[in-house]
Amino acid sequence: MWGSLSLRTKPNFRPLKPHEMSDGQVQFRRIRVPWHRFTPLKKAWMEIFTPIHEQMKIDIRLKLKDRANIVELKTRADTPDIRNLQRCADFVGAFMCGFDLSDAIALLRMDELYVTSFCIKDVKTLRREHLSHAIGRLAGRGGKTKFAIENTTKTRIVIQNSDIYLLGSHANIEIAMHSLCSLIRGSPAAKVYPKLRAVTTRAAERF
Amino acid sequence: MAATTDSGGVAALHRLKSTDPPLYLSPSPDLSHSARLACQHIFASLRPFTPKSPFDRLLADGFDSEQIWQQIDLQSQPLISTLRCEVKFFEKHPEEISKLFLKVSVGKKEGKDGKSEELEGLELDGEKDEGFDELEDGDEGLEGSDDVDDEEEERENEEESDGGGVDGVEDRFLKIRELEEYLEDDEAREYGIKKKEKGDGKVAKESIKEDDDDEDEEDGEDDDGDEEGEEDDDELGVLGLVDGDDEEGGDARYEDFFGGKKKTGSQQKKTRHDSSAGDKQSGDMDFDDKKKENRSTHEKQLEKQRLKIEEMEKANMEVKTWTMQGEVTAAKRPKNSALEVDLDFEHNVRPAPVITEEVTASLEELIQKRILEGRFDDVFRAPTLPNKAPKERKELDENKSNKGLAEVYADEYAQKTGLVSSALTFSDEQKKEASVLFKKLCLKLDALSHFHFTPKPVIEDMTIQANVPALAMEEIAPLAVSDAAMLAPEEVFAGKGDVKEEAELTQAERKRRRANKKRKYKDEYHACDRSFDESSGLNQ
Repeated sequence: MWGSLSLRTKPNFRPLKPHEMSDGQVQFRRIRVPWHRFTPLKKAWMEIFTPIHEQMKIDIRLKLKDRANIVELKTRADTPDIRNLQRCADFVGAFMCGFDLSDAIALLRMDELYVTSFCIKDVKTLRREHLSHAIGRLAGRGGKTKFAIENTTKTRIVIQNSDIYLLGSHANIEIAMHSLCSLIRGSPAAKVYPKLRAVTTRAAERF
Repeated sequence: MAATTDSGGVAALHRLKSTDPPLYLSPSPDLSHSARLACQHIFASLRPFTPKSPFDRLLADGFDSEQIWQQIDLQSQPLISTLRCEVKFFEKHPEEISKLFLKVSVGKKEGKDGKSEELEGLELDGEKDEGFDELEDGDEGLEGSDDVDDEEEERENEEESDGGGVDGVEDRFLKIRELEEYLEDDEAREYGIKKKEKGDGKVAKESIKEDDDDEDEEDGEDDDGDEEGEEDDDELGVLGLVDGDDEEGGDARYEDFFGGKKKTGSQQKKTRHDSSAGDKQSGDMDFDDKKKENRSTHEKQLEKQRLKIEEMEKANMEVKTWTMQGEVTAAKRPKNSALEVDLDFEHNVRPAPVITEEVTASLEELIQKRILEGRFDDVFRAPTLPNKAPKERKELDENKSNKGLAEVYADEYAQKTGLVSSALTFSDEQKKEASVLFKKLCLKLDALSHFHFTPKPVIEDMTIQANVPALAMEEIAPLAVSDAAMLAPEEVFAGKGDVKEEAELTQAERKRRRANKKRKYKDEYHACDRSFDESSGLNQ
């Protein structure tokens, strides 16, 4: 009797498709389009659409309503990765924040990148001209301070009125945020640069 | 009474005259008595002419000859001096003698007593009268020449003769006298001769007073007393006490030149009441006032000096002006007084230059010249010495990056994995360029020396080095001798310190060496034995 029993072969289940994982339900993302990004979106629509639709295999559409434009993302049946949807959502969201396409595209490619934001008033309460001065300090003449920070820390910064958005890896964002906060608090750019330099050289030495 | 005494006296005189001289040798009371009487008579007769004498009559009874003589002397001394002056006067002016006789009848009775009534300048008159009276008396006494009275009579005769030669009216007589006085004064002033005329009583008093004072002042007093007596005492023919020795005027005294040290008599009395030292000066000044007209040049000089000295001393005693005092605050000096005085103090700062047109013109000229030359004297930062290699500074790129963030990360990834050759950084490129240039340069330089500069490669070989001096190696003197090939000192001898030969050792050292050697040998020997024992032990 014992001999007749034989072990069953392990069942070989193929991995679930994202579509199936959610029991065949479609996953959805909605991203609101701010009024100041609508025109740039329309201009760069094809560049946004192509990587999402072709490479990420996520359906994307722009829903136009008066005074409320929304970008909708939906998974398809052949979406390879479940995380694609989130990546696309982040990508579109980054674009809506104000980042360039080339910068936002990195979000599609790399998982370690984040978008963080904070207010000037989170750092220091400034009013009227002090606020203006702080914003000016952050940007620098012709934006050179912002670019300097961006280049050294491999991040991207968007300053929008009192809000600041940062795109980059976690550590780099920290460095950039530190520099920006010191600028907000009032230190001149010349004082911020050496610290940046030191940090970057250290980072470079490490790797 | 007087007549009887007079007659008695005259009789006595006669008697004395008649007696023989040898009788005088033996003492007889009669002669002495008569002599005394005669003396008294003469004394009494002369008494009117000597109002200042202390004796009214000669006190002869019961007195010694010496005492009598002293009395006579007291009376006669001033009289003699007066008579002498008169004689001198008559010597100079013989015509006065005749006038005297004329006047005699008119003014005979005048002025025997109460001479003080007359005026100052008329002292001579009294004296002249005196002289005349004496003359009269003297006529009586001419015959009697006694031993005691000899000198007196002679003097009287002299005076009488002189007095009798003048026939003068009273006025003239007075004038003559006046003249004489003046002449004598002049003489006295010039030659320092003491004056003969003095007031009697006052001078006597003064002399007595003088005795109370210091002896130094006595002479001065005399002089002053004389002068005072002259002016104040109008008593005529009064002869004060004068030092007979100085009559000739040979010895000029200090007071004659420099004025009396003491005050005059009346003033002295006044100041005595005050009794202060400063009054002496007033006395002196009074004296000076009198003497002002009659001074020598030397005296004037001295006077000037004295005044000057006084002034200077006075100035020294006073409080100094504020400029001469040391530190003076504003409160101690009068208001605005510092403005009037030329103050001199050090300025620690250079005074500011006065800007004139010339100055500005010169400056502008200089500037223009400099500009033309191009010599601005700019200050250049001194270049820091390169103590170490310049740090490679990673410059911050302040321009907007051309690559997007994705591209940056992609490039980074590619570099990490090594798929793509990393692009050289800016500094590396520069280095490469520099090295390329340098190599090119070196090539060109080497070409100059035909590439012969290259040194031979070093080949490590085994060589035997003999410790032979270099000279022995080569017979021909080498161009360069080096002992590099020779053995090093350590190779020659490896030891330490002061190594002695056998011959140099002392006895103790030799013993020590031997002892060390034995010890070593013993140790070795025993070590061998031990090892043998041990090994044998093991086997056993």
